[in-house]
Amino acid sequence: MLKIRCDLVEKILVSAIRDSIHKNNFKNAIVGVSGGLDSAVVLALCRKALGAGHTHALLLPYRVSAPESLEHGKMVCAQFKVPFEVIDISPSVDAFFDRFPAENRLQIGNKCARERMSVLYDFSVRKKALVAGTSNKSELLVGYSTQFGDSAAAFLPIGDLYKTQVFELARHLGIPDAIVSKKPSADLWPGQTDEGEIGITYQDLDIILHLMIDRRWDEGEIIEHGYPLLVIRHIKKMIVASQFKRTMPPVIKLHPRTVGIDFRYLRDWNK
Amino acid sequence: MKVRAIQFSPALGNIEKNLEFHVAKIAQAIRDGRELIVFPELSLSGYQLKDIACDIALKKDGPEWQEIENLSKKIDIIVGAPLEEEPGIIYNTALYFSKGKWRHTHRKVQLPNYGMFEERMIFKQGDEFRTFKIGSLTAGILICREILFPMLAYLYFIQKTDLLIGISNSPQRGIGKDGISSFQLWETMGYVISQFYHQNYLFVNRVGFEDGIGFGGGSFFARAGQGICQKAKYIDEDMFDADVQPADVRRARLSSNYLRDEQPELVLREMRRILHA
Repeated sequence: MLKIRCDLVEKILVSAIRDSIHKNNFKNAIVGVSGGLDSAVVLALCRKALGAGHTHALLLPYRVSAPESLEHGKMVCAQFKVPFEVIDISPSVDAFFDRFPAENRLQIGNKCARERMSVLYDFSVRKKALVAGTSNKSELLVGYSTQFGDSAAAFLPIGDLYKTQVFELARHLGIPDAIVSKKPSADLWPGQTDEGEIGITYQDLDIILHLMIDRRWDEGEIIEHGYPLLVIRHIKKMIVASQFKRTMPPVIKLHPRTVGIDFRYLRDWNK
Repeated sequence: MKVRAIQFSPALGNIEKNLEFHVAKIAQAIRDGRELIVFPELSLSGYQLKDIACDIALKKDGPEWQEIENLSKKIDIIVGAPLEEEPGIIYNTALYFSKGKWRHTHRKVQLPNYGMFEERMIFKQGDEFRTFKIGSLTAGILICREILFPMLAYLYFIQKTDLLIGISNSPQRGIGKDGISSFQLWETMGYVISQFYHQNYLFVNRVGFEDGIGFGGGSFFARAGQGICQKAKYIDEDMFDADVQPADVRRARLSSNYLRDEQPELVLREMRRILHA
């Protein structure tokens, strides 16, 4: 059901990346490479779109990040011959929490995600590059991201591909097997897995999302397809609860034309 | 008739830059001995205009037309533009220039207004499907979504159109294991128009991206009665030349006589009965 023609998807995404970068008078993209699947795929696509000399990778480990994440990040950079820098975010994150101790591990995870964003945006100036985001459609829809953290980017090349489709594209692009075959994880704390956090496998999540969002099936139709009502409701709840992450903050309207409401222009205005 | 189709990526809202591109391509086509050059829908402005439309809509007496009219002394030209015909009233138009004059305007009737489309927020609907002459050929124009309404191509069919021109800004969408489903829409209609309405059919679609929405290209020429015989690339900029032969229309009509046997009066009578029942 979710199979894609990878050669065509690659062609569209590579063209789109090139267009986003060049239209904004840049030549370079910068990618935060986590050692996971999504950033590996985005890195490979940017490399194909812009060339090795115009693709930059930052590896941004925190002290509790899995050591294999850093190794896998280096592996994918080596495979696609992309220059990279490793910047340990532990000193800056820990300096903050030394002053204001964290109340839970999610707070630390979110801080790490925003610290990585902050470093990426700083380096985007140093490298004269736009930040290529690595969010996929599954996580965008259920809100499995940190607002203004990993969700912050100049553009989201794989934002309309479900996670299972990112796997398919990764195999097509030749992403190392060690990365494709491991359990997806945001790596915000030891042992964390996406599927454990979301409470459902990507295989099931993606099919339900596809039926619900792309095909507009109602609950009854999805139940007939073999999924329990409780799971469907859980997913719907996540989608609704995370809508704030997918929109700009509301502006309170006072004037006849208001930014974000009826001042309607694309980013590509006059480009 | 020696026709050239231009599949390109207009700059959104930048009339000056797009006009410059048009002039260069028209000049090249003149040098290459072409007789008609066709650009995609809204070729002078780009597609997702939103509020830009109010800022840049072209006026009937705008300075842009003079250059195109001058070039049309040597080649016939079809361009797409947002046209503000009366103050505050903007149409999505296809404009035909020939022998130094602007000679025909088609105002898009079927304005998509669902999902990612919001053309009715911008444009007023047109209300007619008139043929016009390109040399000895009887021609008609459909703009994008109009192509997907077979009854509209039928209106040109019963006006004995030799060359139907469909210009489009079709966003690519619907990825699956067999490719992009939106590509198939246009080719299916190309087949229908060529095979069942016996018109030569030129489909000119744009490419490029506007805020993540990609336009698929895949422009083509379908010869009357023979289906698609020339096709541009998907996704990338491209152009191609086609030779439109009125004799193909005659041959197609003789082979299956759809036009001879068509009964528009009966269709009209039945339409009245159905609508007024």
